[in-house]
Amino acid sequence: MEIRLQQKDGVAIIKVLGELDYSNVEELQFEIQRCKEKVIEIDLQELQFMDSSGSGMLLNQARKLHEQGRILRIVRIPDHIKEGLEIIGFFKVLEVLESKSNSRE
Amino acid sequence: MEVCGSSIPAGKVGGDFFEFITQNEKAVFAAIGDVMGKGFRAAYLMETIRQQMLREMYQLLRPIEVVKRLNRIGGNELRRHGAFVTLFIICCDAETGCMKCVNAGHHPPILLTGGEVKVLKSRGVALGLLDDYVGSGEEEIYLSSGDALVMYTDGLVEACGPGDERYGLERLKKIVSIQQNFSAEKLRNCILADLEKFTFGYSQRDDITLVVVKAL
Repeated sequence: MEIRLQQKDGVAIIKVLGELDYSNVEELQFEIQRCKEKVIEIDLQELQFMDSSGSGMLLNQARKLHEQGRILRIVRIPDHIKEGLEIIGFFKVLEVLESKSNSRE
Repeated sequence: MEVCGSSIPAGKVGGDFFEFITQNEKAVFAAIGDVMGKGFRAAYLMETIRQQMLREMYQLLRPIEVVKRLNRIGGNELRRHGAFVTLFIICCDAETGCMKCVNAGHHPPILLTGGEVKVLKSRGVALGLLDDYVGSGEEEIYLSSGDALVMYTDGLVEACGPGDERYGLERLKKIVSIQQNFSAEKLRNCILADLEKFTFGYSQRDDITLVVVKAL
């Protein structure tokens, strides 16, 4: 896995390339936790594989950031990865977090 | 009814499981699940959830109630570890033949009925991800003699061979559709043999678990 960091208009952009699984999931978690921006965007366009440890970690980070009034956006998800995320209810969880944020505002 | 299953662990200890129980000869439960991650933690959580699930199954007749209670009780433990579990449960009423199915974030099983192959519609969020279980509810199906239900974990459809191609749902549907008169055990063995042919014996990164339920 390769991680590329960028900052644009006050948003931290983390591009993830290659394969994200239980063996390297903590590296990405560490990079997310290091970001101080209110909005963190995870760009998965060049991700080839993600296992359940990857999706679980992203949801945990999204929940933690939501508790701090911050946002984790997951963008440009390849179709074959999106399909697996839809099955576990990944987007439903993000929707619930977002609706909680909206009702708080 | 015939049921059989098997689980092939990948390199490290994983969190796949399956279970069958009968409840006072009134109902048969079958379940398949997959705990997030690998190693000791996944195995520990798998055993914790499996034991809780069995306790609920012995007390409750409706799989939706089992899943809701499991998400409430086991969900706390899962959230504490930042983990989740995908689970598919069926409960077949021995008198009426009605099978109730509930999905918590798991790949929907394949139903072979009247020579046709269908994918079940039931969907839901995996256990531990939300405080309360959210899903499409209980799906009811009636199995006629010769019909079969194939439940599996993601490791099966995502299995790879020498190339980049994955085993996939379409290939699984095809192999199931041509095994209509086989027993549950033979159908399971045919799927695993086809998988072996596809993967050329390459070691897989995820556990592969398969359960077949067949109406006699």
